[in-house]
Amino acid sequence: MRNFLSRFGTIGALVVLTLAFVVAIPGFADSRNMLNILSQIALLAVISEGFTMCLVVGELDLAFPNVASLAGALAGGLIFGGMSPLSAVLLSLAAGVAFGATAGVLVTKVGIPSLITTLASGIIAGGMVYMYTKGVSFYGQMPEGFLSLGRGYVGPIPSLIAIMLAVVVLAQILISTTRVGKYMQATGANPVAARLAGIDTDRFKILALSLSGLAAAFTGVLLTAKLGSANPEGAAGYMMDAFASALLGMTVLGMGRAHPFGTFVGALMIGVINNGMTLAGAPYYTQDITKGAIIILSVALTSLQSKKA
Amino acid sequence: MPILETFHLSKKFPGALALDDFSFSIEKGEVHGLVGENGAGKSTLVKILSGVYRPTSGGFRVEGRTMNLRSPRDARFVGVVHQDRELIAHFNGYENLFLGMERTALGFLEKKRMKRETLAFMERYRMNFDPELPAEKLSGGQQQMLAILKVLFRSPEIVIFDEPTAPLSVQECDILFSLIDDLRGKGVAILYISHHLSEVLRLAERITVMRNGRKAATEESAKLDEPALIRLMLSRDVVNQYPKKAATVGDALFKMEKYSVPDLKIEPSDFYIRSGEIVGFAGLVGAGRTELAKAVFTGARHKSGTLMLDGRPFSSHSPRESIDKGVVMIPENRRDEGLIVDMNVGENLSLPQLKDWTALGFVNAARVRKAARETVSRYSIRSWGLPQLVKTLSGGNQQKVSIGKWSCARARLWIFDEPTQGVDVDAKTEIYSIMGELAEQGAGVWFISSEIRELLSVADRIYVMRGRRIAAECTRPFDNEKLLSAMIAAGPAGP
Repeated sequence: MRNFLSRFGTIGALVVLTLAFVVAIPGFADSRNMLNILSQIALLAVISEGFTMCLVVGELDLAFPNVASLAGALAGGLIFGGMSPLSAVLLSLAAGVAFGATAGVLVTKVGIPSLITTLASGIIAGGMVYMYTKGVSFYGQMPEGFLSLGRGYVGPIPSLIAIMLAVVVLAQILISTTRVGKYMQATGANPVAARLAGIDTDRFKILALSLSGLAAAFTGVLLTAKLGSANPEGAAGYMMDAFASALLGMTVLGMGRAHPFGTFVGALMIGVINNGMTLAGAPYYTQDITKGAIIILSVALTSLQSKKA
Repeated sequence: MPILETFHLSKKFPGALALDDFSFSIEKGEVHGLVGENGAGKSTLVKILSGVYRPTSGGFRVEGRTMNLRSPRDARFVGVVHQDRELIAHFNGYENLFLGMERTALGFLEKKRMKRETLAFMERYRMNFDPELPAEKLSGGQQQMLAILKVLFRSPEIVIFDEPTAPLSVQECDILFSLIDDLRGKGVAILYISHHLSEVLRLAERITVMRNGRKAATEESAKLDEPALIRLMLSRDVVNQYPKKAATVGDALFKMEKYSVPDLKIEPSDFYIRSGEIVGFAGLVGAGRTELAKAVFTGARHKSGTLMLDGRPFSSHSPRESIDKGVVMIPENRRDEGLIVDMNVGENLSLPQLKDWTALGFVNAARVRKAARETVSRYSIRSWGLPQLVKTLSGGNQQKVSIGKWSCARARLWIFDEPTQGVDVDAKTEIYSIMGELAEQGAGVWFISSEIRELLSVADRIYVMRGRRIAAECTRPFDNEKLLSAMIAAGPAGP
């Protein structure tokens, strides 16, 4: 029973919560509202998957919200400046990778803990956003093709949802079926033994931080496409929810370690709570309190389980 | 009445009996020596006496009262001076001394009072260093003294010293020894654990020798000398207990010439391993056996010398490069270095060879399973299946996974560092036969062990290391006396 609880407790809680909202709140079960929830968590899920990569190799990334803002502003600014949307997007993504890779090199080759490295690189990214935008949002007409990234549809499905699902599936494939994924897991689980088994652990730490930068930059670009404008504070709000998604995700399937599918379930949980409580008319602050309590509860269940073992 | 008395103390871990029916006693005011090779059960005993472990069976009495410790906090009667000094680096002397028992008035620290009491206490033990310096600013020896003071300050009835002289200079050792005399005079009982047998002989009235978790003997130290102690530490029956396969010894496979690594304090060393040969490496703790092997495997920067493998110069800069060139190592500390205990059997067995079983970056799960199953059956690894987490395996099966992960590496030179430590008898025999098979197939086996008995029966030749260099070479038929004296430097040394 305990084992079952630790394995499916988080997914069970998500199901129970969803059913409770379905019963209690008229309109929650609407297919339109369901798509709405998925659209709302799409960006959160994308950015959280990047953060998950860092957790897999046993590192932290605090820079991703600001890197996302920077890439979003860069994409908007370049497009308004007349660059082709494709080049602008690629350049913004490259900026994100550059931030992640630099942090990775500092962590592995210089030996600064990732917590400190990414705190500092995040501050730098934040400063560069203001340097670039002078603190104002970029408004204006953007090409349809670019906007459709954030507002379009793939068949009947909003493009953001399609992108999110693609990112989650790709991340899960990377971690569970590729050699790189196995090496990343080994690096996070025991770097000394992994190195003695012939794995270049530094390389996989740099890769994970780069992927986190890439996911953050992609999120920033999508945000700009969704809003049709670039806001210097755009992605700042993702920090806490991304942490929460990944931490909740560690409890999914009783793994006790970060994995992409779990992070997706965590993001769903947060989306359901936000949406359900908003529809129920609960004030904003009660959502935060509820989210915090649910995180502690589900992580506590897993910790108690592993303490017993 | 003895102040401490253990009766039939046993501690079982999965797959290993760390302490086996151990009974001994210490009198008030006695210095009692405790010696034994690594893995003999000394640390397990200390951990039971200090409440870290609970015994599987048996128990112990302190001043006649039977003890039932639930946690280290219940063990106030005993103070342990650990090898790794338990100090808070940026706390100063008196803050460390009073840790957990700070003098306060209305909740505020009484710094002046604590400093005064510290100075008085230091005076009593004739120590002089500045109690206001952070612990990290003190020398290694001063830190050790502070750690000892911290233990004494809690006035325990029994003090356990676990390798106390390792970080000390000669003068500091003398201070420690006179301090121990002092304590003896005050009626404190002392359990003194050390690999430095001369120290133990000098300090202790009686010495208990441990071997494989059991008590080998308790003797008055006046009746003992170093060779006698070592003989007790090592098993008496040096007969051929393990099946030694006769392998055809071929040409030199691995050759080291004047190899030295100043960073690891490795002095210039020469030796060779032929194909089909199991070459033992004997030596006491600190002789440099692990360091030398690790330097070769991890590709440490060496100052001088050459390495040859299969007739070609061998150079490496990382474990990966060594593996690719045909050298693999099974590290001594399997849980931290040899395995990823939070991953499962299949994953652990496949990690080093994963690149051969990948197509376009994707792991070929069927190939991995097939190879892992072959390794599991070849090395008879007992688990309920490949998805079992390695941390839930017994010690012997963990070790076989740690070895088995190299089974597809087609390695030429296999380095085994204490492969049989903490594994049960059956697994030991299995590990010997794995080494035998490797030799039979023409590989070279570099076999580090602290258990002389297994070296004598498994190895074809034995090198003795002492003081971070190779001190002697022994060939079959082995001369026990020569081997022992080379290890402890009591006899003619040098190759």
